[in-house]
Amino acid sequence: MSQIRNMTQMERKLQRADRKQSRLYLFCNFMALMIISAYSALMLSPTVQKVFPKGGDSAKQMYMIFVMTLVGCVVFTVYALGLFFRHKSGQLGILMALGASRKRLAPGLYREVVFLSGVSAIAGTAAGFPFVWVIWHAFRLLLVDSSDMVLTFDFRCLFISLLFLLLVVGFACLTAWRYLKKTNIMEVIREEHINEPVKEPGRWCGPVGFLLILTGAVLGYGAPWACHAWFYMFPPVWVSIFYAPVFVGLYMVMLHTVVHGWKSRRKNPYKNIISRSMMKFQGKQTVNNLLVVTLLIAGGCFAIFYLPTNAVSALVHYASQPYDYFYQYQADQNVPDREDVETLGKGYGLSFKDWKECSCVTLGIGGINEIYEEDGLRYHVEYVPMLQEARVLSEDAYRTLTGQEVDVKPGTYMSLTNREETSLSANNSAREITNMVTRKQLATEFAGFLHYDLLAKEIPVCVLDNEDYAAISEGLTDDWRGQFVSFNVDGEDSYPFANAFYHLFVSSFDESCARGSYYDRVQKIRENEAGKEYWGDTDDMTTISYELSDSFVFRQFWVYQPDFRILNQNDYMRSMAVMLMMFLFIFLVCMITALVVCYTRCQSIALNNRYIFDDLKKLGASPAFLDREVRSQCGNVFRVPSLVGTSAMFLLYSMILYANDGRMLPTEWMSLGVCLCVTAMIGGVIYAVYRSTVKAIKGQLGIV
Amino acid sequence: MLYVKELYKSYEAGKNRYEVLKGIDFHVAQGEFVAVMGPSGSGKTTLLNCISCYIPFDKGNIRLGGMELAGMNEEELARVRNTKIGFVFQDFMLLDGLTIRENVLVPRIVQEEVPAEAEKLADQLASMFGIGHILNKYPAEISGGEKQRAAVARSLINNPLIILADEPTGNLDSKSSRAVIETFINAKQKMHATIFMVTHDSFAASFCDRVILLKDGTIYRQLEKAQERGAFQDQLLDEIKKMGQED
Repeated sequence: MSQIRNMTQMERKLQRADRKQSRLYLFCNFMALMIISAYSALMLSPTVQKVFPKGGDSAKQMYMIFVMTLVGCVVFTVYALGLFFRHKSGQLGILMALGASRKRLAPGLYREVVFLSGVSAIAGTAAGFPFVWVIWHAFRLLLVDSSDMVLTFDFRCLFISLLFLLLVVGFACLTAWRYLKKTNIMEVIREEHINEPVKEPGRWCGPVGFLLILTGAVLGYGAPWACHAWFYMFPPVWVSIFYAPVFVGLYMVMLHTVVHGWKSRRKNPYKNIISRSMMKFQGKQTVNNLLVVTLLIAGGCFAIFYLPTNAVSALVHYASQPYDYFYQYQADQNVPDREDVETLGKGYGLSFKDWKECSCVTLGIGGINEIYEEDGLRYHVEYVPMLQEARVLSEDAYRTLTGQEVDVKPGTYMSLTNREETSLSANNSAREITNMVTRKQLATEFAGFLHYDLLAKEIPVCVLDNEDYAAISEGLTDDWRGQFVSFNVDGEDSYPFANAFYHLFVSSFDESCARGSYYDRVQKIRENEAGKEYWGDTDDMTTISYELSDSFVFRQFWVYQPDFRILNQNDYMRSMAVMLMMFLFIFLVCMITALVVCYTRCQSIALNNRYIFDDLKKLGASPAFLDREVRSQCGNVFRVPSLVGTSAMFLLYSMILYANDGRMLPTEWMSLGVCLCVTAMIGGVIYAVYRSTVKAIKGQLGIV
Repeated sequence: MLYVKELYKSYEAGKNRYEVLKGIDFHVAQGEFVAVMGPSGSGKTTLLNCISCYIPFDKGNIRLGGMELAGMNEEELARVRNTKIGFVFQDFMLLDGLTIRENVLVPRIVQEEVPAEAEKLADQLASMFGIGHILNKYPAEISGGEKQRAAVARSLINNPLIILADEPTGNLDSKSSRAVIETFINAKQKMHATIFMVTHDSFAASFCDRVILLKDGTIYRQLEKAQERGAFQDQLLDEIKKMGQED
C-alpha cells in the first residue's frame, strides 16, 4: 500500500528526493550569509572601529568593499535561488498540469522556500561569528598579535545580517509567487530546459567596455577633486555615480567574453564552437556570474594592495630617516635629559653620537581656511589670522638640528615639507604669526619650502629669521615652548633599549600632553573666544591614553609620538595589526566568495550541459576533445574575471598613486612591484582552484 | 463530449505574430479514440495544450462535458484538469522522487486525502496495463514503455471525461509503442474512455476510430476508420503524402 496519502506527505517526499538541489541552494545561501555576517561583525566591532579613523580613506575603503561584497552576495543568492527554482519548476509544472491549483501548491512551496532560506540564512549568520573568530585568532597566532587585536563584537552588526536574511527570504517568496502566478503551464514545465541566450552585440562590445572602465575610473576618481577645485564643494555621496561607467564597461567586457570570446576566429572559426555556444545559451546567468566574480576579485585586490602600499612607504621612510632617534617635547615636561638617556643606553651596551638639541616655540599661524556654507556641503575659502598652531624654529636652531644651511629674511617665514613636497600640513599662506600668551603679532610672508622629512608631520613647522624668532617668542610660557632632540647610536642599535626608552619617554609626560596631533590649541582658543565649543573637546576627538602607549591609536595620533627607527621598524606590524589584518580578512572573504561562485558556476555548467557532453561522446568525441571543452568553459569562468579584476585594480591603484601628486615616487614604484608579486600569487591560487574544479567536473561527466 | 469551435491561437516572437491555429472546428464523442496528425508546425501540440488549458487561447470555444472552458478562472481550470481530463505526455512527466504507485495516485493526492478505493483502483489499473510488478519502483528504475503505461494509468485514476495524449509513443521503441497503444485500447474497451491523441506515428494513429489531419493551423481532412487497421494506415499514409504534394 502507498505510504503517501496527502499533499503534505507528497511534498515532503519530493523534498527529500531533491536533497541534492536543495543542498546547493542551502550551501550558497549559507556562504553568503556567513560572509556578510563575518564581514559586518568585524567591520563594526569596537576592535576595528577604534582603529579605523572615522571618515578616513581606509574606513571608506573598508565600507566600499563591503558594499561590493554585499552586491556580490545578493547576486550570488539570487542566482542560487534561480537554479533551485529552475529545477523545481519541472515538478511544479507537472503538478499544475495534473490539476493542482495555486492554492494547493502555495502552502507547501512557501513552507519549503522559507524553511530552506531561513535555516541556511540563520545558520550562515550564526557561523559568521565563529568564522571571523577563528580567522582573527589564526592571524594573532600565526602573523601578528598586539593589545589592539583583542576581538570584541558589537552585536548591532546583526542588523545587517537580519536585513540580508529578510531580503533572502523575501526574494525566495517573491520568486515562488511569480512561479505560481504563471498561467502558461507548459512554460513552467519546460523552464528547466529553457536557455537564456543574451542578445548578441557586435565585436565592438568588449573594446568599448574597456574604454568605459577606463573612463569611469578617471571620472569617478576625478569627480571629488572637481567638486573641490571647481565648485568649492565637499564631494557629496552621489558623486560616486561617476564610477557607474566602470560597471557598465565590466558588463560589456563579460558579455563580449561570453558571446565572442577573445581569441581571433578568423583562422579556425569552428574552434571552441561548442563551449562558446554552451556559454552563450546560458548567457544571462554566465554574464551575471562573471561580473560578480570580477567585482569580488577586484575588491579583494583593492584590500590586499593596501598592505604593500602602506608597508613599503612606511618602511622606506623609517630606513631613510637621518637619525636613529628623533623626538620633541613640551618644555614644561620632565623628559629624560641627555645624561638619563646615556645612562639608560649603557645598560644596553649602547653609546650615542651626533646628539643634537634645539629649542622651538609653538605659535599661532594664519592661513586660508575652508568655511562651510549653511548647506553643509559647499564652502568658501577665507583667510583666518590665528588658523592653527605651528612649531617655529629659528634659523640657527634649524641649522643645528638638520645641518642644512638656511637664510630666512626678516619678515618672512619658510615652511617645512618632505622631500617629495607631499606634506599636507605645510603652510604657505600665513600673513602673520601670533604669540598666544602675549597676543603679539608678527607680520610675515611665505618665502619658500625647506625639506626635512622628520619635521614634516601633522603640525606645521616654520623657520623664522633669528631676530624675528626672538621677538615673537618673548613672553611665552613653558607650555608653548619645546625642544627637538635627535641622535644616532654608535654601532648597532638595540630594540630593547628603544622599547625601554620609548616607555620611559611616554611616562615622563603629564596629562596636559595626553592629546592627539589633531588637537590644535590655537584653534581651541579661537573657538572658545568666539563663544563656541572646540570640536577637539567633544567626544569626536580621538582619546589618547598613556596606558595604551603600544596601541595603534596612540602611536598613530599622539602629539609627541617620537621617531625611533628600530622601534618603528620592529613594531610596524604590531602597531598597524588591526588595520592590516582587517584588509587581509577582507581579501580572504572576497576571494573565498569569488572562488565559491566560480566553482558553483562550473558545477551548473556540468549539470546543465551533461546531455551535450553525452551527445558529443556518442558522436565520437575523444576524451582529449571533451577535456578541452570542459577546460575552455571553466577557463572562461575563472580566467576572464581574474584577469579583468586584478588588472583593473592594479591600474586603478597605479592611477591613484600617480594622481596623488602628479608623479610616481620611488616608494610608489616599489609598492606597485610588490602588488604585482601579490597579483601573481593570487593568480596561482585561482589557477589551483581552477585545476581542481576541472578535475571534479570531469569526474562528474565521466571524462577520463 | 468535446466540442472545439472556431479556435484561434497565435504566438508572438519579438515584433512578429504567428497564427498557429486558424479557426479549428471539430468534436469528439464519448468513448471515441481520435488522433490528430500533421506535419511539424501544423499546430497539433498547440491545439492539445489549448484543450488542456495549459496555455490560454485567443478566441473560440472549447466545451468539455457541457462546460465552457473559456472564461473559467484559474481555480476552476485546475479542477477541470484534475477531475475531467487525464494527460499523457511524450516525455512521461513522472515525478522522479515518487514510486510508480505514488505517481499513479498524484491526481488524487493533489485533490484530497487519498481514499482506500483510489489505491485499489491504482492497483487494478496497474495490473490491467501490465505494470503491477513495478508499482514500488521509481521512474529511474523502469523502461520507457513502462513509464508511459504508468502515465496512462495516472491519467485514468480520476475517471476523467477525456484522456489527452501528446505524442505518447514519440519516445518509445516499436514494442513499447504497441504496448502503450494497447493500453489505450484497453482503457477504451474496459473503461469506455474517450481518448484524444496527437501523434506523428501513422501506426499508432491507425488504431484510432478517427484521424484529424491538420495543416497550417486548419483541419485538412478527417478520416473515419471504416476498414481493418493495416488498410487504414495505408489510407493515412496516402493522405499525408497528398497533403505534402499540395505544397
